[in-house]
Order: sequence, then C-alpha cells, then structure tokens
Amino acid sequence: MSDSDDKFQVNLFRPKSAVMRGEVFAILTVLAVWGISVFGFQLWLALSSLPSGKSFLESFTFFNLPFHYWFTAQMLPLFFIIICVFFNLFIDRLSLRRSRKREGYND
Amino acid sequence: MIDSVQKIIPMLIIFGVLILFVVAGLLYKTRESSEYGLSGRYTGSIGGGAAIASNWMSAASFLGIAGISYLYGYLALAYVIGWTGGYVLLLVLLAGQLRRFGKFTAPDFIGERYESSLARLLSAIISILITLIYSMAQFKGIGIIFAWLLGVEYIKGVIIGAVILMAYIILSGVMGVAKSQKLQYFVLIVTFILPLMLLAYKLGYFWVLPQFGYGRAITDLSTEFGINLSSPFSHFNLFQWTALCFTLMFGTVGLPHVLSRFYTVSNIRDARWSVVWGLFFIALIYWSAPAYAVFGRLIEARNGISFPPEVSYKMADIVVLRTALLGGLPIWIVGMLAAGAVSATFFTVAGLLMTGAASVSYDIYYRILNPQASESKRMSVAKGATLFLAILVTIVSINPPGLIAEIAAVAFALAGNTIFPAFLLGIWWSGTNSHGVISGMLTGLLITFAQPLLGGYLPIVNIFFPFTASALCGAPIVILVMIVVSLFTKPPSVEIRRFLAEEVHGEVQ
Repeated sequence: MSDSDDKFQVNLFRPKSAVMRGEVFAILTVLAVWGISVFGFQLWLALSSLPSGKSFLESFTFFNLPFHYWFTAQMLPLFFIIICVFFNLFIDRLSLRRSRKREGYND
Repeated sequence: MIDSVQKIIPMLIIFGVLILFVVAGLLYKTRESSEYGLSGRYTGSIGGGAAIASNWMSAASFLGIAGISYLYGYLALAYVIGWTGGYVLLLVLLAGQLRRFGKFTAPDFIGERYESSLARLLSAIISILITLIYSMAQFKGIGIIFAWLLGVEYIKGVIIGAVILMAYIILSGVMGVAKSQKLQYFVLIVTFILPLMLLAYKLGYFWVLPQFGYGRAITDLSTEFGINLSSPFSHFNLFQWTALCFTLMFGTVGLPHVLSRFYTVSNIRDARWSVVWGLFFIALIYWSAPAYAVFGRLIEARNGISFPPEVSYKMADIVVLRTALLGGLPIWIVGMLAAGAVSATFFTVAGLLMTGAASVSYDIYYRILNPQASESKRMSVAKGATLFLAILVTIVSINPPGLIAEIAAVAFALAGNTIFPAFLLGIWWSGTNSHGVISGMLTGLLITFAQPLLGGYLPIVNIFFPFTASALCGAPIVILVMIVVSLFTKPPSVEIRRFLAEEVHGEVQ
C-alpha cells in the first residue's frame, strides 16, 4: 500500500484522527443500542412465550396498552428520539472542543 | 354511510386546503427556484424537521399503517419501527457527511463519489424505479379517496385524482409557489390527530391523549369479542417481522427523495438536528395511526359488522376514513381527515416525481447525454419527465398489486438493497470503487425482484428474500459484493480519497 493510500484511507472500523475516533465511538454505541432495542426486545418476546403461546410481557398493561405493544409502538420511537438527541449533543461537544483547540484554547 | 350531496363538504374542504397551500406558498414565495425540486429554503433545525416530516408523510403513513394494523395487528408495528428507526441510521451514518459531500441528487453523489458515468446511470435508473413504485402506493391512496368522494369506481378515482394532482403540480410550478413546510406539517398533524381525539371521546376512551386511550379499546376488543390485535407474531413469525422492520429501516436511508433533503440544509449542525425534529414530528403520527384501526375494528364488532377476509383486504386502506364515518364524526371532520390524506399524498408524490425527473434531466440527460445543454433545455426535459412519470404511474396504478404499505415496502426494499449500501460504503470506506458499487447495485436489483422472478423455482428465495422485506438478508450480501469486488479491482483515485478523508471526514461540525 502506498503512502497516499494509507494517508487518505477512510474506514469506519479504523478511525485515524482523534475527532473521527470520537465520532465513530458515538456511532457504534448508538448503533449497538439501536439494534439491541429493536431486535432484542422482539427476540425476548418470542422466546418468553409460554406453552399457551403467550409471553408474560403480554399479560400486563402499561399506559393502558399491553406492555409489549406499548414498548414497541410507543416507547421505541421515543427511545429513537432520545438516542438521537444524545448523539447530537455528543457530536456538538466534540465539535466545540475541536474548534476551541483550533483557536488555541486548552480544556 | 353518507350520500353524494354530503360528500360535497369533504370535497370543498380538500380543495380549500389545497388552495390554502397555494396562497401560503405565494405569500412566502422565495426567489430561489431550481429544476431539482429542492426549492423552498427553510431555516433552522425545526424548519428542517418540518420539511423532513412533511416530505415523508404520505398515503403510507396516513392510510397504510392503519390498513395493515386493521388486517394484521402487531405486524403494523414493524412499519412504525422501520419508518422511525431508519432515521437513527440516517442521522448517525450519513446526515452530516452528506451535507459535507454536497451533491444535488442521489445519483449525483454516486456518480461523483465513484467517478463513474455507468454507476450514475444505474443509480438514476434505480431512483426512477423507486419513484415509480413508491408513487404507485401513493396513487392507490389518491384513487381510493377520490373514488369514495365522487362515488365512482377505483379506476376512475385514480385517473381523476391523477389529473387533479398534475394540475396542482403544474399550477404550483407556473405560479412559482414556494413550499411552506411548517404549514404543511401543521395541517397534516391537526387533520390526523383531531378526528382521532373526537373518535376516542365518542367511544368513551381517554381522548386527551388518544395514543394511550386506544389501549383500553385493544383490551375491550380482546375480552368482549375475542379479537386480539396486539398478539405478536400471530400472522407473521419473528423472522418475517424483523426482516420487514429492518428492510424499512435500510430503505429509509436509501430513499433518494429523503436523502435530497440534506443538501439544502443551511449548515451541518442543522442537518443533524433537523433529523431529530423530523423524527419527533413523524413519531407523532405513528404513535396515533394504529388507533384508527383499533377503533374501526371495535365499532364494527359492536355493530355486528363482519366481512370475509378478501373484502376486509380490499377495504383496509380506507379504514381511517371509514372509521371516522362509522364513528359518527361530523362530515366536516371527515372532510378534514380526507384533506390531510390528500395533502400528504400530493406533497409526497410531488417530491417523488421531481426527484425522479431530476434523475432523468440532470443525471441522465445533462451529465451523461448532453453536457452542453442549457438550463432552459434541462428544465424542459425535467418537466417532460415529470409528466411522463405521472402518466406511467397512473397506468400501473390502475391495478395495484397490494396494500398501500405493502407497495411502499417494495420501494423501500429496492432502496435498501441498492442505494443504501452504495451510500454507506461510499461515505465510510474509501476503498469502495465503481466496479464494486455497480456489481453491488446489480446484485441488489436481482435480490429485490428475486421472489417474483425466481420464487416459483427456488422456494428458499421466498423465505429469505420476501418481496416486501428482502433487505435484511439482501443489504449485507450487497455490501459484501461491493467490498469483495472493490478489493480485487483498481482502487478509487487519490483525489476522491483525499476529498473523503479531508472534506467529508476532516472534522466534525
């Protein structure tokens, strides 16, 4: 691999600069939380089904709705908004630190 | 139901709302215009969020989710999660980077990033295909609403609705009407939520927040009538539910008219925060949509109304309006609901057709066929392409192959199997080259249409690549193809890799 190949390499799993490392950390964390919340809960729901075909997650209500239904229909979209807010706050902070460093300030 | 004289009120409300948008657009008219359908500057992240949401809200959101919920209950939540969770992917992987890359259309990004006219052409053709399929879902919505309004059969409803839609698009274009996205979103949300609150009130449920109030209706349906709309995986198993959900998420990140939104945001920070606001505005509708289906089922059950499955299937897409009528809401409220549905559909189709037309006029005609073309010539091609696509969609919509949400899901599967991997690797792996992306997108096309083409001969295809949910297994295969082919062929130029490293990933903003 030539110098230029290496110098201009962009790879999500091999971030080079400190800024990109911070950004990739945030991205991978959000994606892990996002994936687990979507698939993990449905898997739990399916695996926890009793011989009667019903999971205990279906047997009680929350905010008037069966819990599993409330979690999927109401909580997950809200959760997506929350993790997006945290992601943006993190990136805003990263951006601020970067611009302060560029201007010669030290945190 | 109601007689034709009474339907004059909903019709007047629909036309009144459409005229309101024209007048508001003229009042807020900006001097900026472009052939790419991206005119209408908005400021700040809330304005950007309203633009994302009003651009997104379509017949699939307004009518389709309730239709799926009415038929299949819990399966509708795969649509709710897919169409909201996709924005998380979009935000963290692409929103800021796309704004920094700075291209006008999805094929423009692919053509420039991969330095290939063939990749640009292929992605333009895919964008047009996505436009056609997604518009077909919208035209079905237009058709059933106008058929109901005018008391005519569906085919006539589609044709009349399409003529009115084109008249609206042309009139708006001629008059230079700017998009007032905040007003559009406000109208959509009010026309959707207010009738739902009234329905909940009439049925005796918690009406202040009907998004929670309909929970008791689910329980009542189950205990009084044995209809369990909350039962998970009763119609579809865990794999099918998950495949659909992730297909819709990947597709959200790959839809050209959604990606186009990020090129016009004033700065990168606004691009990121507008996604959050957009997601919130979209979630407000999706928290509410299944309630229409639940109330509809409950009213039918209480009145002893029961249909055979094939009749229920045919009626599912109109369940939102039907529930409002059966629930005894005032006719002007039903008209408001219909006006919201028509507006949502019109705005989405306008955005889709303009994105499709931009693929023809800019990406194919100007960038490949005639680079010397003047702006007026390109504009003429764009207008001609818009009209041609609209006529084509009208023809194919005469016999729609499925429910609104199902047809839309196929468009998402196509986007998720082709455009999404091309953008993901294009931004996040500098080693992806034109050979890789072309091979990958061709593989994605094959995977998307594998079930109708090969499902009869290879039953395994029906399991792993269902027509509406092929991207869960398809997108990873396409990504793998892109990586492997790129590794064995010539790497991209130093210029594009330098641009990616220094301009797109140089610093966070």
